[in-house]
Amino acid sequence: MWRDPGAPADSFYEVRPECTDVPKSRFRIKAGKTLSARKWLAAFSPEGHLDIGKTLSRIHRGGIHPSIRGEVWEFLLGCYDPKSTYEERDELRERRRSQYDTWKEECRQLFPLVGSGKFITAPVITEDGVPIQDPLVLLETNTDDGAIAPPQDNNPGGSNGTGPSSNGANVEKVTDKRVIQWLLTLHQIGLDVIRTDRTLVFYEKKENLSKLWDILAVYARIDTDVGYCQGMSDLCSPMIILLNDEADAFWCFERLMRRLRGNFRCTDSSVGVEAQLTNLASITQVIDPKLHQHLEHLGGGDYLFAFRMLMVLFRREFSFCDSLYLWEMMWALEYDPELFFIYEDADETSEKSEESKLRLKSIRHYGKFERENMKNGSKNAEEAPLPISIFLVASVLKEKSATLLQQARGLDDVVKILNDVNGNLDAKKACISALKLHKKYLKKAKKP
Amino acid sequence: MDISQKRRTLLKVIVLGDSGVGKTSLMNQYVYKKFSQQYKATIGADFVTKELLIDDKLITLQIWDTAGQERFHSLGPAFYRGADCCVLVYDVNIHKSFDRLNNWHDEFLQQADLDNAETFPFVLLGNKVDLDGGSSRRVTEQKAREWCASRGNIPYFETSAKEGYNVDEAFLCVAKISLDNEHVPDIYFPGISETASEAEQPRSGCAC
Repeated sequence: MWRDPGAPADSFYEVRPECTDVPKSRFRIKAGKTLSARKWLAAFSPEGHLDIGKTLSRIHRGGIHPSIRGEVWEFLLGCYDPKSTYEERDELRERRRSQYDTWKEECRQLFPLVGSGKFITAPVITEDGVPIQDPLVLLETNTDDGAIAPPQDNNPGGSNGTGPSSNGANVEKVTDKRVIQWLLTLHQIGLDVIRTDRTLVFYEKKENLSKLWDILAVYARIDTDVGYCQGMSDLCSPMIILLNDEADAFWCFERLMRRLRGNFRCTDSSVGVEAQLTNLASITQVIDPKLHQHLEHLGGGDYLFAFRMLMVLFRREFSFCDSLYLWEMMWALEYDPELFFIYEDADETSEKSEESKLRLKSIRHYGKFERENMKNGSKNAEEAPLPISIFLVASVLKEKSATLLQQARGLDDVVKILNDVNGNLDAKKACISALKLHKKYLKKAKKP
Repeated sequence: MDISQKRRTLLKVIVLGDSGVGKTSLMNQYVYKKFSQQYKATIGADFVTKELLIDDKLITLQIWDTAGQERFHSLGPAFYRGADCCVLVYDVNIHKSFDRLNNWHDEFLQQADLDNAETFPFVLLGNKVDLDGGSSRRVTEQKAREWCASRGNIPYFETSAKEGYNVDEAFLCVAKISLDNEHVPDIYFPGISETASEAEQPRSGCAC
């Protein structure tokens, strides 16, 4: 048989016809390579135990068929234990949905627009907790044709019936600092929601925009250390597209944030991702010392030029479809079957922790990248193992190494050269290269 | 006139302001003459360049876009290094974005490590004047001009990135005052000239 060129998958994530400068995807659905619905179903026992080892190599070679992406991601991200039964998962799902509903209701009590299908894009409170009564501080009133309307003053006469007070929002001064902090982020979430994946037909629908806003608002309320940080909307958006149920999408996003929330934790003097950028510098120093030296010489030793790639996991460097493909390859490579228990145990020191230790560990159920880490004993090392995302950035730098060495005379050149990769990267190749660099790094870093 | 023999000058401009006031839109309108409803929030920093002629001098404006969310402030020093001018942007329809100009202004001065903080040039842009036919406006032009006066006569422009209104004029002013401030001494520097160049449409909007 001829080599299968595969079927394009962009039709699953339809782009608005007027958006003509959207990069085309390289991802193709390939028979026998991409994880199909049939293969996926075949990996479950009658009770629902998933033999995830059977699927991982498929995923990191050929990606996941868009029709099953959401449910596979739930496993890859550690929402569910592959060894659980259908029944157990249904029960857990119900529990999580009602937990989400409870949180959402608590948020609604604090700010009635949560869950209303409307949201805000202008501040509703001052730093010291005084509600802003400006009538402009309004709902995102979307027109029927789906076009976005900026916050409108529906009643130009001044005071009107749609101000925050008439929505039932708190008119009294808020004193709880955490609540103030949360209310202060709500308009920021709104401002980013209306700028997230707007080239997709999916977000022409107002209800999808408000879903994104609701999920991010609820998340900001429960993760008070992180709250909401720009970039998170880019990470959350695919979940809403892939998972129909809002609560399920929330939990998938929440699991993703377990991996990434460190990047978004900010202090007065640093942004969390800078720790990963420091790791990137160490890696580059080992695998491409010349380039590292050059970048340091240009004053780029902080590697801030790679900030965006890590913050939004390459969402801006790839087309929508290709970034999903890249993500699932990364997660399959990094897969650790204990993930579910690690996350659950962090929440509650339940009896499950004992149980998880007794679990039979079969190397087959770990992703390829993770196996490499285990071989090198870094699992037991004091530091957490480096995520594959850093090696992906390292692979991009490596690919551009010659150009950077020859052409970059300042940090501005570095930024330009790296921005040129936008839309030109091959997710699959980047992953293969990242794996190679990881191996090389582990080998070299071991030697004194 | 042979441009190639002229000295090329690179001017670094930093655009600051609250999230969503239109920083990216203004820059893209200026450089690419287009406006999109589908811009994404800026993550980290990025820049665009534009070449223009001012007084027979070929200028490359390198305009840096930044993320507006307050919590990224610690990244300031890395991005502001070597700036020749700072463009502050607020949304005339959002009072808070105007109130926060003081923070942006003062923080820039603190973080940019300047040797001429006293005289460092700023330009203020009040954006989105087209919105809702002006009826949703919350900050008056007078108020903005008063603020500019109190901050050492900062040039002020009212703009609409969406309609392309006053954008060229504003950035021409930015280019001119950046040139005046250029931190590398330039032996060809012809002195302060009020005559605008042919490369850009001259207009009387510039207060510099």
